[in-house]
Formats: sequence, structure tokens, C-alpha cells
Amino acid sequence: MKLKLIILLLLISHPIYAQLERKLVNESQTVDLIFHAPRQINLFTVEPLEKKDLHFAIMHTFGTLDGGVQNLFGLDNGANIQFSFEYGVSRKFSLGIARSSRDKVYNIYGRYHFFQQTRDNKVPFSFSMMGAAGVNTSDYSFLGDDNPTFEERSSFAAQLMFARKFNDKFSFQVSPLAAYFVDPRPDYLIEGNSNLYFALGFSGKYKITGKSSLTLQWIPNLHSELKNNVGVGIDIEAGGHVFQMYFVTTQALNEQYLLAGGNGVPGEDFRIGFNVNRIFATGVKRKS
Amino acid sequence: MKKLIYRFLIAATTTFPFDLSAQEFKTTNGNVEFLSKASFNEFTGTSDHLNGLMDLTKKTFDFYLDLNTLKTGIGLRDRHMRENYLETKKYPFAEFSGMIQEPFTLQIGESREVTAKGKFKIHGVEKNISVPGKLTAVSDSELRLEAEFKLMLTDFNISIPSVMFYELSEEQVVTINSLLKKK
Repeated sequence: MKLKLIILLLLISHPIYAQLERKLVNESQTVDLIFHAPRQINLFTVEPLEKKDLHFAIMHTFGTLDGGVQNLFGLDNGANIQFSFEYGVSRKFSLGIARSSRDKVYNIYGRYHFFQQTRDNKVPFSFSMMGAAGVNTSDYSFLGDDNPTFEERSSFAAQLMFARKFNDKFSFQVSPLAAYFVDPRPDYLIEGNSNLYFALGFSGKYKITGKSSLTLQWIPNLHSELKNNVGVGIDIEAGGHVFQMYFVTTQALNEQYLLAGGNGVPGEDFRIGFNVNRIFATGVKRKS
Repeated sequence: MKKLIYRFLIAATTTFPFDLSAQEFKTTNGNVEFLSKASFNEFTGTSDHLNGLMDLTKKTFDFYLDLNTLKTGIGLRDRHMRENYLETKKYPFAEFSGMIQEPFTLQIGESREVTAKGKFKIHGVEKNISVPGKLTAVSDSELRLEAEFKLMLTDFNISIPSVMFYELSEEQVVTINSLLKKK
């Protein structure tokens, strides 16, 4: 007994291989990649930017698929293109500017991340919001005296984003959206005629391989006459870029037009869409 | 006979540990850098969270790094790295433990080139490697360790993005610089 005790003591004080206990630096670190990029199909996600990161996104939607091969499945029919640059002011807040070719709308927007889901589930989901203000810069001089003023060309959007990564494969986001047009003229490329629009966005991501996911989007428009937005796509990460290819029912790319712009009938009026996301770091010093 | 064993054991437990622990050096904030030199894009992943223990008497060492702390300077790239390449949720640590090969003594202010041989583990794959390094006795309670070695990512089943954009190099140059303090 005594001998055993002494041997035990010997073993404790003389470990053959001194080994350190493996400890994580941060047990409740935030979950990585709820979505592949700060955007998915038409909607913003809760994916934040680091301080001084610059997110560049170029997004396109084309004509409807029903033209068939004759119109190369809509690719011949004028694309709507949006460029956007978003800059990480801090890890919580980013500011961006976007320009969408449809009605030549410039949008400035911000995203704020209230909190983020953590691996140990102490915070079970991420919560962010975005707000945008836009101006339509199309030429309406043909309207003569009725040419809309700057104020009448303005529109606004707001979105709350609640997202959770349920497991390594599946993530889901619910985003209530609102948009406001100061003067919703029929001259604008929108289908609604009210000032205020509401919708509820649902985004899903299902990982199929390490670097690609199936994506899904459904935005029931709470304006009954403006059909719901449906999108299905695929996200592919390729060395620093995230490519997103999808079929979607709307040609709109910014938030205001997404809500007021109307949608086609799923199955009949799908279009091809394509986003490229790229993040640049502006705060990193180059080593020579 | 039994008495003799007791005596020996008691002597062993009471005398050696003091001397041995006096030769143990530890760090929790060593610096590690992974340099990826691809044709178009060169970047580093760095961390200041290297944990290490060296025992100069037994010539053993044990180092580990929480790979979640590696930063490349681009947040999204870090997240892709953790999620797709290193898979840090499944394999959070890079580990290296083993023995220093050659016998050596160190006076304060002196440096020695040494070879560290042992098991290196990352991404769940374990390999025996041998790494040259430099030990410097900064003071009687501080030991500096510097090392540089190369790792091939495919040796550890870490796939690199192939076709479109060569951003990540297959070969990673690992640089370690850490000041260990006497325990």
C-alpha cells in the first residue's frame, strides 16, 4: 500500500513526457461562416466584415428563361447589374455603397451586428440589421415639368437578420424587410404603387461539399399583388472568391426594388442570376 | 531490500523534482507564423497564442497552438481557413512534442543550434518530423526558442483550392519565436 502510494507520488512528480493540457484560447468563440459571404442571392446575411475589410460584390440578373435557346435562356435580355463596395468600420459596423443599373439607383447602406452566435451556444443565434437609402438617377427629362425632384427619387430600406447555424451543413436566416418610396411613380421600374412595403425573407444554406452549398431564398411579399420572391442557387468558394449562381423570380438587386419591383411566377418566370463576392483587406501591411 | 527501495523512492520523489522543475520553461504567448507563398498571392497566418513547455533536463518539449487564433488579416479568409482547410472545430490544435536530439548545456547569453525530433499533429494527422531550431538562454529564468521549418499541406490531408485561383501554397513555412519562462 505504502509502496503503491510512493510509486504514485513518483509518477506524479516525474511525468515521462511533460504534457501541457490542451486548452482553447476562447471557448465561446463566434461560429464561422453561417453563410459563405455577406450576401446570398438577393439578401444580406449576418456574415460580418473585419475592421478595414472591403467587400466587393458584383451581382447580375438576366431576362426570363422562357426565351429558350433563342435568347440564350434570358442572357440576351438586358441584365440588371449591381456593384457594391462595403467597408468594415469595425467588426460590428460596416458601410457600403451600391449602384444598380435598373433605374440607375445609388444606394448607401450600413450593416450593424448586434451579436453573433457562439460555438458553445451561449449565444444561440446571430442578430444583425441593415438600413439603406437610395436615389434613382435615371433621366426623366421627357416628363418635362413633372421631372421628379431628388426627394421624389429617394427610397429607403431596412432589414433585420436573425440567423443560426444549426450544424456544419445547415444554416437558416429569417429577415423581416421594409421599404419606403417617397413617390412610387409608374415611371419607375417598380410594380407596386404604395409608399410602404413589407416582406419576410427566409434564406437557407445547405452544404453539399466542403466549399459549395445549395442555397434557397423565399421572400413572401406582404403586398398581395406583388407575388413572392423565390430563389434557388449554389454557392461556391474558390480561393478567396465566393461565386453564387441562382435562379430567381425577380430582376431587382437592391432591397427597395426587391420589395416593390414585383416577381414572376416561380417555375414560369425564373431568371438566371450570378453574384461574385470578393473581400479585400485594406488594413494589412504588406511585408517586403 | 524493501527498505532500500523505500529509501530510494523517497529520495527520488523528494530530491529530483526540485532540480527538474527548476529546468522547466513555459510559455503561453509564443509567436507562430505560417507563410504561404503562392505564385500570385503571398500571405501569412499569425498567432501569439503558442503554448509550450520545455524541460532542459530531460530534453523534452511539448508545444501546441489553438489554430482558431490564426489570423491572416482578412476576416472572411480566416473563416474559410478555419472552416474548410484546417477544420478547427474538429481539429482545434496543432501539436508538436518530442525530444531535443543532441546533448547540450547553455550558459546565460549563449545560443545553441539544436534539432527537435518528435510528433507533429495538425488536421488530425500525425507525422514524425525533425526540425532545426535555436535556443538562447536570455537569463537564468528566460529561454528563447526560434525555429523555422516547412510543412506540406497535403501531408496532413489539407486540400488546397485547385483550379481557379492559386491563393494558398502547398508549402507552408512555419516560423516560431517564443520566450519561455522558468516555471
